[in-house]
Amino acid sequence: MKEIVTIQVGGFANFIGSHFWNFQDDLLGLAEDSQADPVYRNQSLNMDVLYRAGETQQGASTYTPRLVSIDFQGSLGSLSSRGSLYNSAPSSDPLHISTWSGNVSRQVSEPHKKNLFLQSLYEEELEKPTSSVDGPHKFKDEDLVECLQSGVQFWTDFSKVHFHLQSLYEVSGLYVDPEDFNNYGIGKSVFSGGLHGEEITERLRFFVEECDCIQGIQFIVDDSGGFTGVASDFLENIADEYSNTPVLLYSARSPGSCTRPINRNDSILRSLHDAISFSKFSSYCNLIVPIGSPSISKSKATTTLNINDENLFHCSGVYAAALHSTTLPLRMEPPGPAVESQYVTGALDFNRFVTMLACQGRQNIVATLDVAMPAPPLTGNLDQHSFLERLYSLTPELNEDAEDSQAVESMTVHGALHAGGNRASILEVKDSISSAYKSATTRPLFSHLSAALCPLPIPLPFPSMFRNHVSQSGLLLDKPISRSQSRSSLDVHSIPMAARLRSSNAVLPYIEKRLGNLRKLGIQRGSPGTGLLRSWGLEKEEVEDMGEVLSKMVQALNPRPEESSDSD
Amino acid sequence: MSLRVLNPNAEVLNKSAALHMNINAAKGLHDVLKTNLGPKGTIKMLVGGAGDIKLTKDGNTLLKEMQIQNPTAIMIARTAVAQDDTSGDGTTSTVIFIGELMRQAERYIDEGMHPRVLVDGFEIAKRATLQFIETFKTQVVMGDEPDHEFLKMVARTALRTKLYEALADQLTEIVVNAVLCIRKPEEPIDLFMVEIMHMRHKFDVDTRLVEGLVLDHGSRHPDMKRRAENCYILTCNVSLEYEKSEINAGFFYSNAEQREAMVAAERRQVDERVKRIIELKNKVCAGNENNFVVINQKGIDPPSLDLLARAGPLVVVIVIMLVAIVYLILILEVDISNNLNQYLEIIALRRAKRRNMERLILACGGEAVNSVDDLTPDCLGWAGLVHEHVLGEEKYTFVENVKNPFSCTILIKGPNDHTIAQIKDAVRDGLRSVKNTIEDEALILGAGAFEIAARRHLVSEVKKTVQGRAQLGVEAFADALLVIPKTLAENSGLDTQDAIIALTGEHDNGNVVGLNLQTGEPIDPHMVGIYDNYTVKRQIINSGPVIASQLLLVDEVIRAGRNMRKPS
Ligand SMILES: Nc1ncnc2c1ncn2[C@@H]1O[C@H](COP(=O)(O)OP(=O)(O)O)[C@@H](O)[C@H]1O
Ligand SMILES: [Mg+2]
Repeated sequence: MKEIVTIQVGGFANFIGSHFWNFQDDLLGLAEDSQADPVYRNQSLNMDVLYRAGETQQGASTYTPRLVSIDFQGSLGSLSSRGSLYNSAPSSDPLHISTWSGNVSRQVSEPHKKNLFLQSLYEEELEKPTSSVDGPHKFKDEDLVECLQSGVQFWTDFSKVHFHLQSLYEVSGLYVDPEDFNNYGIGKSVFSGGLHGEEITERLRFFVEECDCIQGIQFIVDDSGGFTGVASDFLENIADEYSNTPVLLYSARSPGSCTRPINRNDSILRSLHDAISFSKFSSYCNLIVPIGSPSISKSKATTTLNINDENLFHCSGVYAAALHSTTLPLRMEPPGPAVESQYVTGALDFNRFVTMLACQGRQNIVATLDVAMPAPPLTGNLDQHSFLERLYSLTPELNEDAEDSQAVESMTVHGALHAGGNRASILEVKDSISSAYKSATTRPLFSHLSAALCPLPIPLPFPSMFRNHVSQSGLLLDKPISRSQSRSSLDVHSIPMAARLRSSNAVLPYIEKRLGNLRKLGIQRGSPGTGLLRSWGLEKEEVEDMGEVLSKMVQALNPRPEESSDSD
Repeated sequence: MSLRVLNPNAEVLNKSAALHMNINAAKGLHDVLKTNLGPKGTIKMLVGGAGDIKLTKDGNTLLKEMQIQNPTAIMIARTAVAQDDTSGDGTTSTVIFIGELMRQAERYIDEGMHPRVLVDGFEIAKRATLQFIETFKTQVVMGDEPDHEFLKMVARTALRTKLYEALADQLTEIVVNAVLCIRKPEEPIDLFMVEIMHMRHKFDVDTRLVEGLVLDHGSRHPDMKRRAENCYILTCNVSLEYEKSEINAGFFYSNAEQREAMVAAERRQVDERVKRIIELKNKVCAGNENNFVVINQKGIDPPSLDLLARAGPLVVVIVIMLVAIVYLILILEVDISNNLNQYLEIIALRRAKRRNMERLILACGGEAVNSVDDLTPDCLGWAGLVHEHVLGEEKYTFVENVKNPFSCTILIKGPNDHTIAQIKDAVRDGLRSVKNTIEDEALILGAGAFEIAARRHLVSEVKKTVQGRAQLGVEAFADALLVIPKTLAENSGLDTQDAIIALTGEHDNGNVVGLNLQTGEPIDPHMVGIYDNYTVKRQIINSGPVIASQLLLVDEVIRAGRNMRKPS
């Protein structure tokens, strides 16, 4: 068994995670559903990689994500931080106090109301044992979809997954409003202060101890605010404690948090926040993937998706889908001795996956993420190489036109369709992707292809954001199917996906900008940010070392003597 | 939690308004916390929006759970929480003392007095009180054999403010013994060497001291024993899991065979390490019936567990077989396989907490091993009994009956998380109070005795040495001290005026008394064993006026941080 533990830190990371686990939950459900498309029954994906089997004290068996999620106190909405499975024995009255004989005062907060969707889940659960007859449904699916479309406030509002009682950690006692928890420095002392760090690392250890042979840690962090401070301390701790375990970090930013700075100080603060966070992250993980373009609603994504940048629920869905696809190879059943599987190809081990991208070409641990959602059909009126051109980047601040003969890529295509709508076999996928690469103008040094037959199922609580020419099976049609602007999960049941992680010099501007800002604002004599950095506990020498490391990263990608590195 | 304190949207305010805002904020926080104080205080049950329950009698925990938004209140809360971090107690007292200083100040300021004058008086009074503590304190001599009685009194006093009497008294013994267990002459006391472990248990509220260690995990092999006596303990930090030496090596296999060969070589390396451990086991367990337990900070994968659980050198197997056969001939009922097992298996636990490595050595002896090259019998520790306890999916391993432990575990059983958490908080308080006492070699008489005495000293001795109006500052400070006995009385349903009059009367007659909360009569705190920590009292006296002065000397601008940056 090669287990993966997932860590989500901060608001946007948890939104992405929520969709991610919804996808997994759908895959699990469909695999057992006799009425579902047979493609789901033989996924050849090992779910135990991401999930753990357990048991409540009452003896009920559970199957929950190997997950540690960290967020503000109060960010879980109507969900208890103990999850929904491991409730205390109903026999003990929770209001009974067995430790105090004196006065008691109760402060009961207004209960968070469950939205329609969560109510329906709850009732479904209650009915389960006697679900022999399909009684009249109290909840109409249309209403559930509708209630989420604009009414999501917390990531738990659209989550259909049961979590383990160790999974959800709320950070209390911060005494700041979420909107002021907006930079590395503010989050810096949270992990080490009080018992937070202790408790968080204990929870991670709980999940790691269970692993027979952990293959890696996938870590998603909201990099827009104070949680970068929390995450970098946590990452440092992981690098120290689990030195042989590779860490893949997605540094995620929601489009909504990319507002313009209000004044010069704010702009300095933000630039240094970005530079320090990135520099800290890159020293404690094996591969880092920045995601979150300031506006996906203006990217190529809009040809297929109708996204509202402001809406976390929407945009996190796209990132979650891409994450799901890129990490599929890590849980594909490894191939049998001789026969090729007809369901999957290109299984990879976490370590190999990370090392391939970070070291196979040159030493570069910053990868970019591209996606086509839904993936275009393999064949048909579209000419061959346009499959690759349909991928668009989810990583910000790129040089999109960079041509790099030393690029290394890992591409995953799953659930691919032919133009006619029938499913392409693994072999066909392999053939057409490799011919797409052959006819492309620039080819990477090395490219790994993984493919699976199984498409991405669209769970009911997925936002209604498909354009009206996306068919039920995710096929891109020439003509709109309906009038309505957006199609929901009730219209689109699954989609083919293509996603790609890429290690190339396209990422140079991203790193150069951070290096440039660090030098200009933090290192050079008389720079305006030194006081700020010191208040974050960073002395001159350490900042200079960070600059040194970033500059090495730039040099590895850009062997020319750097003259234009001060962008901005 | 709905405990918002006052106006969260402070804007620029003029001096007097700012001052009054500070006073009100301090009073507001005082009002929230005052009912907590003392053994007759009120326990607070906070029920969150998702039904999560927090239970606390502790100012510290309460402050952390409150979402305080007023910057003044936040400042006070931070001070109080810091008070707890450094000395382990006194949060409630700090908050109400600050509140009362501000209330006293308000009286004088409303009469036209300048805050500066008051602040000067506070400063004089503070210094005088700190000097007074030195003459007032009760010396406790802590030679090689600390005075048990005093330690128990201070622990009992602290615990009875958090738990009902019988439970507090049971814990008193436990915390005193725990601290004495880990105490090494001439070394500072490291309370981390007392592990606090909990178990959820339907109806049980029970706490006990385990001389030794309780780990929250068990062995991961079905054939390993769940109970073993006379155990050698190997504490190590050695990876016994298939290593990924590939990581970041930048090295790639050119073909499958090469990869296979590498994998096999790496596996052999791991096996080799396991064999070294088995060799040591065979050496020390030869000719006796002792057992061997490995507790590893790193991972142990299933093949390694298999080796540890099963393998034994052939010679030993044969010898044992012979012995067994002889036995069998003699006593026909003997079960060979059982006996065989006993001679072969090693119990192995993986991913132990880092801190437990240290604790194990202190509990069992031996030394922590970082490489199998260093293995010698001297590395091994000893425990009379190692056994496992299973509760649902949770496993606990007890390492008990150790010789001369310098580490121990307090095991808390409770019916639900919030009860456990509350007992844990109380235990931490108790431990701190004992540690403080040993380190301070002093205690302070409680139940308000100190505050009455200090006030008397200030009013009758100090005040007259002060020039001018600063006298009033001294008087305000002195009166503010009374908030402690007054609040204790109020929380016990006593008449505060009567109580204060009775107490001051006795003090005037030279009797140092405190308040009997049952009767309202004066009592000698020493007779009933009510003592507080010297450090804690000092800190309250120290930080109270510091914060109050800052709040009084406010310049006209006080801004709530949260409104400073809103995206327009
Ligand atoms: N049995 C008792 N009778 C009277 N006063 C007591 C008793 N036990 C403790 N106290 C007083 O209660 C105060 C501590 O109360 P506590 O609730 O622990 O607040 P804090 O958070 O400030 O430590 C001290 O002033 C102490 O002297
Ligand atoms: Mg106390």
